[in-house]
Amino acid sequence: MSVMLTKFESKSSRVKGLAFHPTQPLLAAALHNGSVQLWNYRMGVLVDRFEEHEGPVRTVHFHPSRALLASGGDDYKIRVWDIRPTSRRCLFVLHGHIDYVRTVQFHHEMPWILSCSDDQTIRIWNSTSRQCMAVLTGHTHYVMSAFFHPKDDLIVSASMDQTVRVWDISGLRKVGASTAHGHNSFEFDTFSTVKYVLEGHDRGVNYAMFHPTLPLIISAADDRTIKIWRMSETKAWEVDACRGHFNNVSAALFHPKAELIVSCGEDKTIRVWDLTKRTAIQTFRREHDRFWVLASHPNLNLFAAGHDSGLIVFKLERERPAFAVSGDSLYYIRDKYVRSYDFNSGSDIGLLTLRKFGSPYMPPRTLSYNPMERAVLATISSDNGLFELTTLPQSTQGEVKDSTVDGKRGPGQAAIFVARNRFAILNKASQLIEVRDLSNSVVRTIKPSVQTNEIFYGGTGCIILSSTSTVVLFDLQQQKALAEINSPPVKYVVWNHDSSMVALMSKHTITVTNRTFGEHSLIHETIRIKSGAWDDAGVFIYSTLNHVKYCLYQGDNGVICTLDNPVYLTRVKGKTVYCLDRSARPRTITFDPTEYRFKLALLKNNYEEMLYIIKTSTLIGQSIIGYLQKKGFPEIALHFVSDTATRFELAIECGNLEVAMETAKEIDRPETWERLAQQALRQGNHKVVEKAYQQTKNFDKLSFLYLATGSKDKLSKMQKIADARGNPMSRFHNALYAGDVEGRISVLRDVGMYPLAYLTAKTNGLEDIATEILEDAGLTEADVDDVPNFGRSALGIPTVVTETSDLVWPSLASGESFFDKALANGGLEGVSEPAGYTNGEASGALDAWAAEEEAEDVEAEEGEDGWDLDAGDGEEHAVEVNGAEPEEEEELGAGANPGIDETEHWTRNSPLAADHIAAGSFESAMQLLNRQLGIVNFSPLKPLFLSAYRSAHIYLSPVASLPPLKLHVRRNTAESNLSRVLPVNVFTLEAARKELGDGSKFVSQAKLQEAKDAFAAVLRSLLLVALSSDAEAKQWRDMVTSAREYLIGVSIELERRRVVEADPTNVQRSLELAAYFTHCQLQPAQLQIALRSAINVFTKANNPAGAARFARRLLELKPDPKIVTMCRQRIAAAERNPRNTVEISYDEFTPFEICAATFTPIYKGQPSVQCPYTHANYHPQFKGALDPLTGLAEIGAAASGVPAPWS
Amino acid sequence: MDSSELYHTKQLFVLGAYKAVVAQPLPDANSPDYTSALLYQIRSYIALDDTDTALGLIPDGTENVALKAASALARFVAADEDDREPILEELRDLSLALDDDVEGTEREKDLVRVLAGIAFSRAGETEEALETLGSETEDLEAVAVLVQIYLSIHRPDLAKKEFERSKRWAEDDLLLQLIESSIALVTGVDNYNDPLSFYSEQIGNPSLSSTHLLTSRAVTRILRGEVDAAKSDLEESRREHDDEEALGAALVVSGLSGFRAEQDELWEKFVSTYSTHPLAADVAEKADLFDSALANYSVPALPVVA
Repeated sequence: MSVMLTKFESKSSRVKGLAFHPTQPLLAAALHNGSVQLWNYRMGVLVDRFEEHEGPVRTVHFHPSRALLASGGDDYKIRVWDIRPTSRRCLFVLHGHIDYVRTVQFHHEMPWILSCSDDQTIRIWNSTSRQCMAVLTGHTHYVMSAFFHPKDDLIVSASMDQTVRVWDISGLRKVGASTAHGHNSFEFDTFSTVKYVLEGHDRGVNYAMFHPTLPLIISAADDRTIKIWRMSETKAWEVDACRGHFNNVSAALFHPKAELIVSCGEDKTIRVWDLTKRTAIQTFRREHDRFWVLASHPNLNLFAAGHDSGLIVFKLERERPAFAVSGDSLYYIRDKYVRSYDFNSGSDIGLLTLRKFGSPYMPPRTLSYNPMERAVLATISSDNGLFELTTLPQSTQGEVKDSTVDGKRGPGQAAIFVARNRFAILNKASQLIEVRDLSNSVVRTIKPSVQTNEIFYGGTGCIILSSTSTVVLFDLQQQKALAEINSPPVKYVVWNHDSSMVALMSKHTITVTNRTFGEHSLIHETIRIKSGAWDDAGVFIYSTLNHVKYCLYQGDNGVICTLDNPVYLTRVKGKTVYCLDRSARPRTITFDPTEYRFKLALLKNNYEEMLYIIKTSTLIGQSIIGYLQKKGFPEIALHFVSDTATRFELAIECGNLEVAMETAKEIDRPETWERLAQQALRQGNHKVVEKAYQQTKNFDKLSFLYLATGSKDKLSKMQKIADARGNPMSRFHNALYAGDVEGRISVLRDVGMYPLAYLTAKTNGLEDIATEILEDAGLTEADVDDVPNFGRSALGIPTVVTETSDLVWPSLASGESFFDKALANGGLEGVSEPAGYTNGEASGALDAWAAEEEAEDVEAEEGEDGWDLDAGDGEEHAVEVNGAEPEEEEELGAGANPGIDETEHWTRNSPLAADHIAAGSFESAMQLLNRQLGIVNFSPLKPLFLSAYRSAHIYLSPVASLPPLKLHVRRNTAESNLSRVLPVNVFTLEAARKELGDGSKFVSQAKLQEAKDAFAAVLRSLLLVALSSDAEAKQWRDMVTSAREYLIGVSIELERRRVVEADPTNVQRSLELAAYFTHCQLQPAQLQIALRSAINVFTKANNPAGAARFARRLLELKPDPKIVTMCRQRIAAAERNPRNTVEISYDEFTPFEICAATFTPIYKGQPSVQCPYTHANYHPQFKGALDPLTGLAEIGAAASGVPAPWS
Repeated sequence: MDSSELYHTKQLFVLGAYKAVVAQPLPDANSPDYTSALLYQIRSYIALDDTDTALGLIPDGTENVALKAASALARFVAADEDDREPILEELRDLSLALDDDVEGTEREKDLVRVLAGIAFSRAGETEEALETLGSETEDLEAVAVLVQIYLSIHRPDLAKKEFERSKRWAEDDLLLQLIESSIALVTGVDNYNDPLSFYSEQIGNPSLSSTHLLTSRAVTRILRGEVDAAKSDLEESRREHDDEEALGAALVVSGLSGFRAEQDELWEKFVSTYSTHPLAADVAEKADLFDSALANYSVPALPVVA
């Protein structure tokens, strides 16, 4: 424990009392200046201040479950406060002590408050009745502290009278109940007795408390010692003392979880002691401030200490568990055990203990995992930094391995794997990075280019150096910096799944960059950043002290959820965040990734995905709308909004007039209509403009609009409206726009502007009206003869060229986007999933495929069951396996003799022809095939031989211009012993099975010639399959048999067709062949075909009895209902007429084989010869001929069969 | 210590990114790196079979032994079978003269041996190549050549010995790692983990990209039996640059995945494009072997059916 980790610090006057809130991140501090401060230590803000005490406050305490705070001070008063911000006030004051109050404490379950005072008494108060229930007397000097036992009815007190006393208050519970009834208070206690008086301190005792679980008491005194006492039922005694403080010890606490003691004193130190050994572990010194009080958090590993000029909140150790993620596993350290947690199965097992690694009080700091070697590399800060390299045990059974068994250690402040067999160690003091190999010997020493505090993995051959102000990508081979980014000290580095992006995390910033440190974006957080992990979509998810947040690659970030306590993210998968909590227990948090996925889709312009999200999720909230608006997608935002005003704004912004119109109608306010009119005008949609003008009664603009659109009738209507409104100006306007001269004159006359009316009439040639006007004005022609003659006005209304009044102008491109179509009317029905798998045609095709696949599978399976014929027989070693290679000791240099080629080993190691072929030893391969399977005609096999050979060798040139190395592909890749290596399987049973399937499909499709070729090809391929077990040998033989049967069957049918064509009169032969075809061992699907064909042929030849026999056999195969009907008909027909017209040589009741050359039966007991390879039967006269089925083997040749080198 | 540009060039050369090497600008002619960088370029052109350009880069009448040796190697690679002997003689003279006082640094003298060794090895003069390179060399390039020669004569034991020896003096050099992985490719030790992680790491290296590395990883993966992974590596590498190595490996992949028609197609392409490649010669030889072995068997007639 080299440093105490200060989490928060504040400056104030002397702090004498401190208390942690049990659940919230709040700390109360009692100040010498009379105020009580309430701090949020996580955010670092002062939440509240309570200032009603007069004089110094010495103590504070939170109620364990209610929002109450008790404080006591030099004004002899105990105050109880309501700390809720809405109702914060002093609830009541407890009067009674007659000197300074030293400590106050709420009972953990009863409504009691315990206090002690310089008046030498300890009092217990009922906080409900606000009465003093008991006064404990006995101490003969100031009582400095008094605390309840965490479970039992005991109190421990410390006093300046140099004693620590334990009081039994079990009697108080009964009385407590009765006093609650409002009984009077008790001046002197008769229910509490002193149980033990602990004497041993030589000076006044400042502080004493019980151990949370053990029967122990700790006390701190002015004699500079801390004493530990043990209690039994009957007595209590001093166990030991911790000496080391060189001034008064103010307080000493048991660590709530670890076996530690924390103390502080006026010697300006905080000290940590080992409880079991009573030895000092660590000392934290302050320059000027004496420490007065300590407090520990009831649940978290947090402490607070008050001193002369403020307070500090600190931790004794880092709580971040060391961990490393690899594949689907998390490797982490809990309680100095390396454990592995499987993300998928959730299994969590201990693998290795590091308990002898570094200080026993300190957890390891970092862990680096090497999946190839299954090794871990841990560092610890104790002893100035150590690392240890250990391999994890292979099996998880039995004892957990101890790292000391094979661990390799050394000094170093940071250690990471940089390659499979290399790791780097940073020595901060000497500023050297050592690259070591797995045997822990230094292979390279590097001087980093910057002052380095941390190193991280930086991709191949690189590490990332973290210095105070920059982070550097450093190439280990070249020993130079490749790139540098300015950043506060980087504390953690997280790579994404494909190592293309990396997040560099500092205390308050995250830099997201690519693997060359090219572009990068920066995120600032005011709250401390704790950890992070990449999700599959390339979004970085990170945790701060109180949030889980996300960050997109260009820097947008947002909150996913809030946290009560910090967690350390290890992995993100789908909707699940995997993390470790502060006690290093794996946890998962489920969250809704919709928001960031949506934003990511938006950034990538992946509209399908966005639509899909909109359709399937409930994305609401002002933030997403604001985001969409900000990013320039108001039209999308439109679909999330129901509030009309916002909808209107968005619709205007994205030019969606339809929606704008709708919402404007709902809002119906002049300014809304005006905005709509403006936008519509901009887009040229004059109908909407018209509507908007009408709504706002904007007659002038409306008229002008009608003029512009050439809408004469509307203009005349406007005139009427103007007339109705009694607005002559408007009437005039409209008349002018409409070119309505009479209308204009009539307006002028109506308003009494006769001169203008007269002139207008005059210039437009309307003499009658002009005269009328004169009359109206009471004038004659003579009166106006001084008016100059203006001539005819040439002004006229232009004619309408295009009837635009009903058309809408080509509108401004309003962003008719993907969404306008897809989201029209907000309706999202019929939107397909992003990938569009529901596309009808494609899915149809897929279904067909699936069906085919299924069918194939079924066939294959049935095949295996059905082929229960002759298992691989006569398997013997044909070739002796040669001995191991000669071992020769030879010097390096020119005299080196060539060694043995790997191909030679292959031929030595295997008696199988396939292996010899792969080795290129064709001659021996042919020999083997000849001996084992009687193959004599090899020409058809040449392409197969060459293909197998080509597939087993690769050339590669590691060194420039040298002839390439010939590499050999093995099938047993884990084997490197040359006496066991074997070549790769180029031809496999699976491939052959597939070819067989293809062949039977040809049969079903009646492509007989293709089928015949396919089966012959299968039989050729099967010759080159290298077998490795009895099971495989059996499968192989089954497949050979099956291919043979099909081949015979197809050949018979081909022969039948030939006969029918060449010699139509030979019905007898045709019928026989059709009958034999049904005796080939085919799969049911093909056998049905054979039987149906036979039924047909026999029926046509008028052999109903024969047809009926096949029909009965066909029925056994449970064919389609249609075929069943047909079969029944045939059988019925045979019953009516059981006579066959054509006699054939076919006895189905005596078992027979078919001669594959003549296609005639060889009945049981008749002599026959066999093909040594396919075991097809032949009449004896064909012995020595070439097998006509495959054209490969000699009929009746002696053969040993395929050997079984594995047994 | 090399300058970082030269280092980078060397790294590219070692990892087979010859195109990248020749694409790099040469340093200033007065720079101390000039000759070294020039040599890497020349050697890269030779590796790319562009000997004319390689020869064009060599200054006329140069007295530098390494450049002279490079020129000889370029001519050797380009020459027909019959014209090779005088060039080999030239290289012999050059390497013999190294002990005398000739122009050139120690490093250049080492390079002469390396280039001569390569030429001897190409000519099939394995013994002479091994002798020229010497068993006591402390030049890692020489070790690389030595190791590959040992491997090609099926002596991985000697290759390993040579590697272990050089581990003592060569720092954790990239070339040393390459040598280690080449040995593992041949011996198959540790399930080819060494080459796989070496090539994977180098592919991940941000400061270079080379299709040779992808092809090499594909080859490693084929050897490990991971045919599908190899296939995707090859697709990527062949998209960038299709050479005999990648095509040869693709051939194996298609053969192992059971696509024999595709393999035949690739094979046609291979033989027509790279007729002098050892693979082409090897398979042709095997085809002849097949035909001659056929003679051992007489094929009986098909049965005659009455």
